[in-house]
Amino acid sequence: MATGMMDRPAAQGGPAESSVLLDLRGLDKRFTGTHALKTVTLAFERGEIHAIVGENGAGKSTLIKLLTGVHLKSAGEMRWEGRVIELTGPQDALALGINAVHQEVVLCPHLTVAANLFLGDERTRFGLLKGRDMLREARRALADLGFSVPAEVVLSSLTIGQQQLVATARAAIRGVRFLIFDEPTAYLTRQEAAQLFALIRRLKAEGVTIVYISHRLEEVFELADRASILRDGSLISTHRIGEIDEQGLIRGMSNRSIEQIYHKETVPHGARLLDVHGLSGPGFAEVSMTVDRGQIVGLYGLIGAGRSEFVQTLFGRHRATAGSVAWQGKPVDIRHEKQAIGLGMALVPESRRDQGLCLNLGVGLNINLTVYERLTRGVTISRSAEAAAAEKQIADLRIVTASRATPAASLSGGNQQKIVVGKWLNHGAELFIFDEPTVGVDVGTKQEIYRLFGQLLRNGAGIILISSYLPEVYELSDTLHVFRRGRLAASHAFKSASMEAILTQAIGV
Amino acid sequence: MSDSAAKSKPQARLNLLLSLTLLGLLLLMWAALSVSTDTFMTENNLTNLMRQASIWAVIAIGQTFVIITAGIDLSVGTVLGFAGVIISLLLQAHVPVSVAIVLTLLVGVAIGMFHAFGVIRLGLPPFIMTLATLTALRGIGLLMTNGSSISIDNDSFTGFSRGALIGIPNLFWMVIVVAVPSFVFLHLSRWGRYLFAIGSNREAARLSGVSVNAMLYVAYTLSSTFAAFAGILTTSRIGIGNATTGQGWELQSIASSVIGGTSLFGAVGSIHGPLLGSILLTTINNGANLLNVNPFWQLIITGGLIIVIVYFDQLRRRGR
Repeated sequence: MATGMMDRPAAQGGPAESSVLLDLRGLDKRFTGTHALKTVTLAFERGEIHAIVGENGAGKSTLIKLLTGVHLKSAGEMRWEGRVIELTGPQDALALGINAVHQEVVLCPHLTVAANLFLGDERTRFGLLKGRDMLREARRALADLGFSVPAEVVLSSLTIGQQQLVATARAAIRGVRFLIFDEPTAYLTRQEAAQLFALIRRLKAEGVTIVYISHRLEEVFELADRASILRDGSLISTHRIGEIDEQGLIRGMSNRSIEQIYHKETVPHGARLLDVHGLSGPGFAEVSMTVDRGQIVGLYGLIGAGRSEFVQTLFGRHRATAGSVAWQGKPVDIRHEKQAIGLGMALVPESRRDQGLCLNLGVGLNINLTVYERLTRGVTISRSAEAAAAEKQIADLRIVTASRATPAASLSGGNQQKIVVGKWLNHGAELFIFDEPTVGVDVGTKQEIYRLFGQLLRNGAGIILISSYLPEVYELSDTLHVFRRGRLAASHAFKSASMEAILTQAIGV
Repeated sequence: MSDSAAKSKPQARLNLLLSLTLLGLLLLMWAALSVSTDTFMTENNLTNLMRQASIWAVIAIGQTFVIITAGIDLSVGTVLGFAGVIISLLLQAHVPVSVAIVLTLLVGVAIGMFHAFGVIRLGLPPFIMTLATLTALRGIGLLMTNGSSISIDNDSFTGFSRGALIGIPNLFWMVIVVAVPSFVFLHLSRWGRYLFAIGSNREAARLSGVSVNAMLYVAYTLSSTFAAFAGILTTSRIGIGNATTGQGWELQSIASSVIGGTSLFGAVGSIHGPLLGSILLTTINNGANLLNVNPFWQLIITGGLIIVIVYFDQLRRRGR
């Protein structure tokens, strides 16, 4: 191979005292409010494929970000070939030969494949680009790697899978010694995945250490030499493949001490709010479920399993292609969001910062944004009605804020979530759809949000709870539906199946 | 403090400080000018200053609606000149003054609707859309007049701008006619709240049931209509219609608005801000003229002022 892939002077010829390339000792990372990674001690050997498995939020991405210099560690030590190293930024990691290929491709979509391969490392003569040389080199490199991707086309004209291969090739060309794959096959076709696996094995044979992160456990067993399990930021165990089976990994990922944060309030179920029958749409098919007043219906599944697409269609953002929806016993055809809002549905979006709140405006304005029509007398807004409506929600939901004029941005995550809920309560919503309500919030805020659920249920609302965090939906849902590849894989009454069983159904082992 | 202003106490204090600083700066300049020149504190000069400030205030207020939605209207100077061409042609054709005014304002409405159409339906960035009409409308105006000025011989029309009511120039009364309903609209009605919400987070506003597109139509239409109104006032003041009138005034309007505390990132702004800002800018111009300062310095001072004010705006944002 005539590319930079071979530029690893230390890999073969270095001191042979240890097979360990990167040694993590007590690696720790805290963000304000969360302890994302808890004293992880783990050694990566030269030329091994090391899988890291864990649920969403287990600390996998934090680990990647520490290894690639995106985040700085809070405590602990990293040793590279026995020497202590300090990563101060991504360039330090790259200089050592640590590289990552992400699920989302981070390349320039408007440039050609060749230009992307050499981005930041262009071949030049007298400061001018040697375009033809680079194109030739890119073609040769891609052919060497066994990728059937043209080098001269613009990157955005390729499929996501092909772009992923280009990103991998880019890392390989640069003399990588430690390569991290983060869910690389999420968007790949079978053939593309096969090409990728072949490359990974080839890199391994050349002594590159591979860290492989995937939800698809069958891939872990196909590729990896060892697997480490992360749970709640801690390293649970490391196993040689062959000494553990899939059930063992799943048990390690999910078997956890259930903290006393899930206060499930059991409220007698009332009348039926929503009845969905055989609904199909973009990204999901033949989904049936019901929601009653006083009930939490949980939707669990891996990212991309169709949960979000389902609720967005329910909410009128996409058109359903088949099936029927009844709201409080009457058949409805929800064509746009305003209609859903008008019926009394409320979507509390995953990214409340992007979709839920006007952050630099006041708490009161956010709460009243849905009801200003009601607060208007003639032309102008009634100041007293405006104040009363906002203060009512602030009091009812116990929103902690200096005043209703305080910008939403300056409140805590839990209180921001309450503002979004207050906005919809103010509007008279009866069905709340929470999309990943506890992403990126600390335990205290989680508890607050769960208590809020209880309050909503007591007031006769129904809740659809979407979460990728199994313990959350498991502990809170009266009915739990498991999505897999756009379909309902299973449905369970409250805790009528084990978490392992549910995870198995979601992953589809 | 109203919810639309939506500031916590320290922020409200900061904004009040900004307004007071501006007012203080203005008074300081007035005091300095009345001491250092014999001509500043004359009735003639003051009414002249107020007339010019009035016209800039009207377009700055219109501009502010658009900037609050996190947009921008670069066309206001051109629209002002174009409206002058339209009304002078109408008056030349002996159309009654009231009818001519209404027709000219309707032209402003149409231009604003076109801007909103381009921004919403065609998906053009506001900067590009209004930059395009800035140049295109100037061309149309020049074509219609063959590049020459159209003089107006209607004394009741031209006399209006010279007149005064209880000692205050008629043109300044026109600012009040514009500013008071604007204040009610922006600060007291729900539509004002919606403009702020759109500027803060368009998606959140839409998901809350706000008719985002309709509100954007309103904002751009107000801006162009106010510019057309300012064009009528300017034509009355100078007695001729010329397509090149108002060249560069889009920057005056943006500067007035920003100096008055409007954030170019949207969701922050008021009616009194651009009012104060335009008086400040006019005073700088007027004072520089009286002091025989090279007029080019005015441009430099305005530019410097914008950098300082926007820097403060950045500080305010980072403070969150």
